[in-house]
Amino acid sequence: MRARLGNLGPMAAVAAMAVLLYLPLVVIANYPLAQRALERGAVMDCDGPLACAFSLRNPVVPAPGQLLAGIYNLLLPLDSPSAIPINAFWTGAETLVGLALAALVGFLFAVGLVLSRAFELSVLPWIVASQTVPIIALAPMLVVLLGQYGVQGWLPKAIIAAYIAFFPVTIGLAKGLRSPDSLTLDLMKTYRATTLQTFLKVRLPASLPYLFTAFRISTAAALIGAIIAEMSTISFYGLGKMLSENARASDVVGTWVLMIASAALGILLVACVGWVERLVTPWRR
Amino acid sequence: MATLDPSLAGTGRRAAGGGPPFAAVLALTAGHLLLLYFVLLWWDRSEVASAGWRFALFLATLVAAFGLSRLAGWIAEHPAGRAIRFLPAAFTMILALLAAEALLRAYQVPAGLIPTPTEVLVVLWQARDVLLQDTWQTFVMEAVVGFLIGVGVALPVSLLIARSGFLQQGMMPYAAAFSSIPIPALAPVFVHMFGLDWQSKAAVVAVTVFFPVVVNVVRGLLEIDPRLLDLMRSYAANDRQVFVKARVPNALPFFFNALKLGTTLAMIGAIVGEFFGATGKGLGFRIQIEAGRFGFDIVWAAIIVASALGIAWFGLVAWLERRFTAWHVSLRE
Repeated sequence: MRARLGNLGPMAAVAAMAVLLYLPLVVIANYPLAQRALERGAVMDCDGPLACAFSLRNPVVPAPGQLLAGIYNLLLPLDSPSAIPINAFWTGAETLVGLALAALVGFLFAVGLVLSRAFELSVLPWIVASQTVPIIALAPMLVVLLGQYGVQGWLPKAIIAAYIAFFPVTIGLAKGLRSPDSLTLDLMKTYRATTLQTFLKVRLPASLPYLFTAFRISTAAALIGAIIAEMSTISFYGLGKMLSENARASDVVGTWVLMIASAALGILLVACVGWVERLVTPWRR
Repeated sequence: MATLDPSLAGTGRRAAGGGPPFAAVLALTAGHLLLLYFVLLWWDRSEVASAGWRFALFLATLVAAFGLSRLAGWIAEHPAGRAIRFLPAAFTMILALLAAEALLRAYQVPAGLIPTPTEVLVVLWQARDVLLQDTWQTFVMEAVVGFLIGVGVALPVSLLIARSGFLQQGMMPYAAAFSSIPIPALAPVFVHMFGLDWQSKAAVVAVTVFFPVVVNVVRGLLEIDPRLLDLMRSYAANDRQVFVKARVPNALPFFFNALKLGTTLAMIGAIVGEFFGATGKGLGFRIQIEAGRFGFDIVWAAIIVASALGIAWFGLVAWLERRFTAWHVSLRE
């Protein structure tokens, strides 16, 4: 159920409702804090706990004005190393490289799975089981380990993103390579197509939609992997670095802005994947 | 033996002659035995093995892998192999563990870098009290509680959305978009709002589980065969009956799919949430703190615990699914 033009009215109405519900939330969450601060005699240029709930320095839920100011502060200048855009760009790039890497290695595994029943019997159960396991838990250790062997910079983050996306991508590609029906394969046989030709002209194109379905599922997970990898080692850029710095500084508004930015990055990356999909599989439109 | 199953005759399948290929079984056994022998031989030694031994170990691994692949090929082709189809996967794991154990010991890789499987098992037993406490925190207090809250809130909300066309148009695009939001983005905000203890992680889990359940249950309630609704109308069923007897059963498989997805998401949410602040216990906390000071044996132990819990929980939901939706096409024999 994607956003469609006809949905815009109701979507805007729901968004407006969310904003209207947000204001009382700010009051409920911050009112006791503001009241206590005033009782202690804190100097704030606002009168009454109700007004002060919107201008606390460390609110539980930041007021809309504070959020907008925070977004403005963290968004500009575009190329500042402490601003969001350049950091989000690096994290996003790591995730996309990771996805490409996962597709490459996953493709090799998928070909193996399709060609050899022995390989399938030996390996596929573990790939499937890995889907129910929180493999993200390996990320902090892997990134430290890679650092020990001299793999540093953006590469280990991309590797973590890749290995998280690897399992769903492999399963998707294997399914896709198997998906052509026997009619199509028979047709290729009547054309006297070689196995390689059948592979390139039938099986490979047929696997692409499955690949992108797997991408759509695993992009958010790969992004989580990249962020966790950035947090688990010394990083000089990336949303993960910003998140861990912010957590140490306990800057609440900044945390909220980073949440919005990461969410936006996730949605943007999935949109990116969808855009590449339309580009690569034009016949499906 | 090749013609035990007459239905396969004439299908063009290559008839595998005789029993399991003797050479493959021999290679598999010999490779495993050599690796095992070396592990026992090197159990207490702390010097790097000679070049000859190291070469022999690689060779043994390769030979065993070759034997395994031939045996797996036979099992795949042979009708008699159906009962032992789990063997290749089991042997893959055994071989991987055994080869890792032998090679790590042969090269004397420090335990701080990559611990051997047996070292991990020993630590798993030695640190059982700590890990049990971590499990209680992460699995019971965070993952399961958050999961139940998320599902509990998602069900009435989905009913509401399914009843209202306005909400479908206005809410569903947001709910679908939410699946592309990374969990770490939520964790710091929730940790600040609900404190360092389990409540904040349970909240993260609840939110991550909530949206897939809503998306799936609404689809299940709405994507119903129109002929089924016509049939219900011809029975003069009222709205309530249509809902209980047609829409709810139709939504059940969707619901269980979301639950299965939710178990994995809940484990990830609880563990990742703990990376952003915890009260000194929890599997995620343990993993992060020990990875930072090269306590990789306990990291592995924690991962094993988390994986076992994840698989068991998923298995439980899959079992419930089979119990409650046994009539569904995908599960019928």
